Amino acid sequence: MSGIVLTPRASLESRVDLSGVLPGAGVDFARLPVFHGGRKVALGDLFTASGVDDGRMTIEGGDALLDSVGAGLAKGEIVVKGDVGSKLGFGMTGGMISVKGSAGAFAASEVSGGKIVIGGDVGEKLGAAGDGSRRGMSGGVVVVGGSAGARAGERLRGGVVMIEGDAAEEAATDLIAGTIAIAGKLGANAGRGMKRGTLLLRSPEGLCAGFGDAGVHDLVMLRVLVRRSQELAAFMGASVTGARRFAGDLYSGGKGEALIVAG
Amino acid sequence: MILNGVEIRDSFAEAFPMVGTRLIITADSAKWAMIAAKTMTGFATSVIGCGCEAGVERVVPESETPDGRPGVAVLIFAMDIKGLKSVVPNRIGQCVLTSPTSACYAGMEGGESISIGKALKYFADGWQISKMVGGKRIWRLPVMEGEFVCDHDTGSVSGVGGGNILILATSRGEALAAAEAAVENMSKVEGCIMPFPGGVVRSGSKVGSKYKGMFASTNNFYCPTLRAQTDSHLPPEVASVMEIVIDGVSFDAVAACTKAGIEAVVALGRDKGVVAIDAGNYGGDLGPFHFKLREIMA
Repeated sequence: MSGIVLTPRASLESRVDLSGVLPGAGVDFARLPVFHGGRKVALGDLFTASGVDDGRMTIEGGDALLDSVGAGLAKGEIVVKGDVGSKLGFGMTGGMISVKGSAGAFAASEVSGGKIVIGGDVGEKLGAAGDGSRRGMSGGVVVVGGSAGARAGERLRGGVVMIEGDAAEEAATDLIAGTIAIAGKLGANAGRGMKRGTLLLRSPEGLCAGFGDAGVHDLVMLRVLVRRSQELAAFMGASVTGARRFAGDLYSGGKGEALIVAG
Repeated sequence: MILNGVEIRDSFAEAFPMVGTRLIITADSAKWAMIAAKTMTGFATSVIGCGCEAGVERVVPESETPDGRPGVAVLIFAMDIKGLKSVVPNRIGQCVLTSPTSACYAGMEGGESISIGKALKYFADGWQISKMVGGKRIWRLPVMEGEFVCDHDTGSVSGVGGGNILILATSRGEALAAAEAAVENMSKVEGCIMPFPGGVVRSGSKVGSKYKGMFASTNNFYCPTLRAQTDSHLPPEVASVMEIVIDGVSFDAVAACTKAGIEAVVALGRDKGVVAIDAGNYGGDLGPFHFKLREIMA
């Protein structure tokens, strides 16, 4: 990928907040102000910026100390050839972010559009509401190639979250709407306080006590989902027709559901 | 113009602007998809008496439907967007939602939005589930049979209503046979419907009536039994006239459909009792769309 390429000048010693470092803005990247630890510095002090800003940006190397990568992205594409820190794509409304490594806490938090693909694991509160916010991710797609930390999808409002590995405890807590597909194992007490929305699972093990078994059903909706979402098609298989349905959290209205589908 | 012994009269069909939409209805089997589609487009021959005009556009193969099941595309037309917004959810609610295994999807994008699932969701009494995937919102309504799945809304298009051809033949049987052949060929044209029974109108109408309150009445100029009493438009050998009315999503679609119909009738020829092809109009001052038969067949 061409476009702007950011290459670290040296190993980072403290956290860097990359809020505002977005492709397609037509700015001098080297002069962009960023927070490094408690100090405001120029991006050029930490990274060399090469290439042409054509709406694409590559961060060479990556680092778990890089926070807020792609925060607020509305269009264009960001590729990180390594790990990132917390708040990956925070508040993103469009475009595409691809992280080859792992991401920290609050990845895809409050995203409303676009797509994020993370090759490795993510920390806690994937797609969740940020601190002080009432609603998490409300649109878009997030694919996690590894496993997710605790409370993935907490207060999720919409969109599709796909976790190809395991989800730690209390996934989908207080989930409002949207879809989370978890291919691996589900940690304890999942779906507690879930109001609406859909969990796509391989097994009900790990669901909180508020889920009731509604039986196995032929659901036309599944056929539609796999034709409108390549991620869900990969999860459920293109020929899916049915699922075992659990409704919950029955202690919070019970209009959410966990659908157990074969891979 | 004479084609295979059939006179193409120097006439034109006069058509009007309508607003339309397309829906894709699916079911577990092609049989039930068609039952739902036929029911949903029933009693929709003429806006004069039905509030809309609707019909089956085509059978949609499984590979093309949103849920991979057998499907049918239907087109619905009304005189204005307000009318369309009224009849579409009403017809889906009564005829598709109720039909076993059915689902209903948007068949076009763009234009003003027509609510479908958005309007029908209330039937689920709070148990409805919406899902926004791939940029489209879809609704699931729990029903006794399972779930009814329906897109949130569909698009609309400014279309053309009232295209037509008249088939003049030497007997009722020959007129109907020619009309059936025409409808079969016209059905292959996408973007059009023939909203009358089997696509054929045996009782074409003229505007107005001697009776107060009647907007349309029998077209006595084309009634063979009234030849001696009116200024008949029929030659002596014509004993029966069948009309085919066409609604379409565009002028070009209706023109193509008209041509397909005439070609099928001409293929039968004078030997099969077809004397002439004519078209219904009101002098050209009412409808902005004119389908001139000889230009279409030139």
